[in-house]
Amino acid sequence: MNYLDQFERALEKVQKAPRYTGGEMNTEIKPWDSCPLHFGFCFPDTYEVGMSHLGLKILYGLINREDWSLCERFFMPWTDMISQMKENGIPLLSMESRRPLNEFDVVGFTLQYEMSYSNILAMLEMGGIPLENNERGEDDPIVVAGGPCAFNPEPLAPFIDAFMIGDGEDVMTELNQVILERKRKGMTRRECLLRLAALEGVYVPDLYDVAYNDDGTVKNVTPNCPEAPAVISKRIVPDLNQTYYPEEIPVPYTEVVFDRIMLEIMRGCTRGCRFCQAGMLYRPVRERSLEKLIELSEKLQKATGYEEISLSSLSSGDYSCLPELIRELMKRMKDKRVSISLPSLRIDSVLKESLEETQQVRKTSLTFAPEAGTQRMRDVINKGVTEQDLLEKVRDAFQGGWSSVKLYFMDGLPTETNEDLDGIGDLARKVVAEYFAVPKDRRAKGLRVTVSASTFVPKPFTPFQWDAQNTIPEIIEKQNYLKKVLNIKGVTFNWHEPYLSFLEACFARGDRRLGKVLRKAYEKGCILDGWNECFRFETWMEAFRDCGLDPAFYANRVRARDEILPWDHIDSGITKAFLWREKEKSNRAETTKDCRLGCNGCGLQKRKGVCSFANAGGV
Amino acid sequence: MRMLAVFEKSERIRHIGHLDIQRSVQRGLRRSGLPVAYSNGFNPHILISFASALSTGASGKREIMDVTMAEPVTAETFVRAMNSAMPPALKVLEARALDDRHPAMMSLVRAARYDLAIDGDDAFQRIRDAIPAAMAKEDLPAMRKTKTTLKECNIRPLIHGIEAKDGHLLAVLTLNEKESCKPGMLLEALCREAGMEKVPRMTVVRLGLLGEDEQGRLVPLETV
Repeated sequence: MNYLDQFERALEKVQKAPRYTGGEMNTEIKPWDSCPLHFGFCFPDTYEVGMSHLGLKILYGLINREDWSLCERFFMPWTDMISQMKENGIPLLSMESRRPLNEFDVVGFTLQYEMSYSNILAMLEMGGIPLENNERGEDDPIVVAGGPCAFNPEPLAPFIDAFMIGDGEDVMTELNQVILERKRKGMTRRECLLRLAALEGVYVPDLYDVAYNDDGTVKNVTPNCPEAPAVISKRIVPDLNQTYYPEEIPVPYTEVVFDRIMLEIMRGCTRGCRFCQAGMLYRPVRERSLEKLIELSEKLQKATGYEEISLSSLSSGDYSCLPELIRELMKRMKDKRVSISLPSLRIDSVLKESLEETQQVRKTSLTFAPEAGTQRMRDVINKGVTEQDLLEKVRDAFQGGWSSVKLYFMDGLPTETNEDLDGIGDLARKVVAEYFAVPKDRRAKGLRVTVSASTFVPKPFTPFQWDAQNTIPEIIEKQNYLKKVLNIKGVTFNWHEPYLSFLEACFARGDRRLGKVLRKAYEKGCILDGWNECFRFETWMEAFRDCGLDPAFYANRVRARDEILPWDHIDSGITKAFLWREKEKSNRAETTKDCRLGCNGCGLQKRKGVCSFANAGGV
Repeated sequence: MRMLAVFEKSERIRHIGHLDIQRSVQRGLRRSGLPVAYSNGFNPHILISFASALSTGASGKREIMDVTMAEPVTAETFVRAMNSAMPPALKVLEARALDDRHPAMMSLVRAARYDLAIDGDDAFQRIRDAIPAAMAKEDLPAMRKTKTTLKECNIRPLIHGIEAKDGHLLAVLTLNEKESCKPGMLLEALCREAGMEKVPRMTVVRLGLLGEDEQGRLVPLETV
């Protein structure tokens, strides 16, 4: 029996077969021979997670739009399917034409989250591709990766041939063109990688050598051939109105995490929250025009039949014509019975008016992210939000008929004390009081305040990149403290065990040596680490020990100002000097203003014409 | 007016459950731009009903839905608009306008025709050989499974006919609002009859739904 028949049988034995069967709306299969270049887009997590990801839909549409390239999707199978595949010799197959991964010319992974790294190894192996780039031969695909985690590519350096740094839209096509040329002209793998290294924003890790100091810190990262640039600058799409955005997106049959139209209204954020890596990496802020967004929303609604549109960005409340946009969308979508939702609503930018407009369709729970419990702590992280702001917005919401509020916080932030944790409790109590302050006959029934606390993970390219993460016992102590503080009627407290955050901290700021740990852990059976039921912390710790590396060196160590960081050869556009300045201000609990109020000199002002708030003179 | 439409749930998406098929058809209707009617109320939904839910794992050649339209449209327009709006795996084959007073299609279903592919020549032959004896019986026991219970019942009166050919069983089985014989129950009963310990793998295709004409004969539901 061939593997396709085996696959059909396996489908009957697994829990959720629809996540493997494809055939969704707007995923029409391009004939294999109709395009010379075959791109395998790999999302290193399950179908339900991957199909909620906007980047997949953009690149999927972008590659399929070209008449010379086709794109098919691959997802990480769940454990039951993996067992079936191993037992019956079924390779990892694409969702569209059910071809094995190694039949594609390019295999591209999107790196959204450090804890998906072991899935990359699993997908490569199941796809019949040698794990490490030095084991790959002329017939193997070129393995590339992009996304936010590509900004510290080092832990994945042994497994990925080329990283794309920054916005993917433009570099994707350029990269595919080089690989097409390789195919047509019979370029060697090495020649092809040298060509890729010459593209702006492409990092080929094999072309760089890393040296270490005796204390384990990085001594230097140097190119080992003339073709490799010493510093790799991220790609920036200058104008979102000119860049590709899909007008037809796949519509899954089954419910996925985000099962709606995601309309990216802008990229980047001007707030400068010091913990937020996305806020630094996606700079500068670029908005899509109102006209473009209206046009896209109508096309997407027609092409998908979705019942909901969510405005997507890091800080939708800051979009300059938000009230007009919402009003216009509501007007046009009302007859089509489409609701508009604002997911990452920032509490200082919510317009009362738009709240009132949202409820005309549906009253879902409102989410606020004060991130920290006291004003001092919020100043440290530069979360420019006051208690008064929050309580006003909550009051508006309760008066407007909402009864369910979610509050997001972090624990383990730099300089945090018990007083800051007490502040979380005080804030929750005040939110509850706001609800009861609304007269009984004028408020919705069933108050639900959900407080979630996640463990802070210091990330590269943020002012906290030099800071230590709290140790696991410290975090557990803080969480236990919070449990007591948040024992309030009407309040539910959610938290996660700190083990995963600890490992995430290791890989977020890891160096190239962590590739060995990753491989070791994978060989010991670690996969799907982001899923509680699969995460095996002890096995990971064993892998560290086997490789002679100490995870605390990566997670819990304070870095010196002059330390060469493993990602220093990647240029995010933000300067190290700016980040250090921000770190020092944070130590003094001093805030930095929103870029819209004046240039803070993060470094992007040096790139011509990309940032609309840049002051070329700088600070 | 209402529109009765015959559609195919293809093999590729046979593992998609009924609720997901419903939602996908509704989104298809929304994409089609056809003037469908919505329910009133807080969360308006398209007025649509399906004659019978098809089990997860089974594909269907001629499934039936019944859509309430806000404005009249012709059957041709309906089919054309739907097929440009549906994925190839979920195709609308034909449609027929219904009067608003036409009974709910669900209440008219009497039976279904199945094509059951049996895995393994030996298993198929043993099942085929057991059919005459099974059909001669008055009482053919099978287990009926619901979400919570497992009950023995007699499926013989629910079998309208079985034909065995080239590894396939073609069966017409009762399906109505009160009782039904699922393909799995039939297979299990036949295997027991054949003295087989293991029930072989089977692929289910529902070929069509049947209703009754004025003489009480089983006819394709879409003609009723």
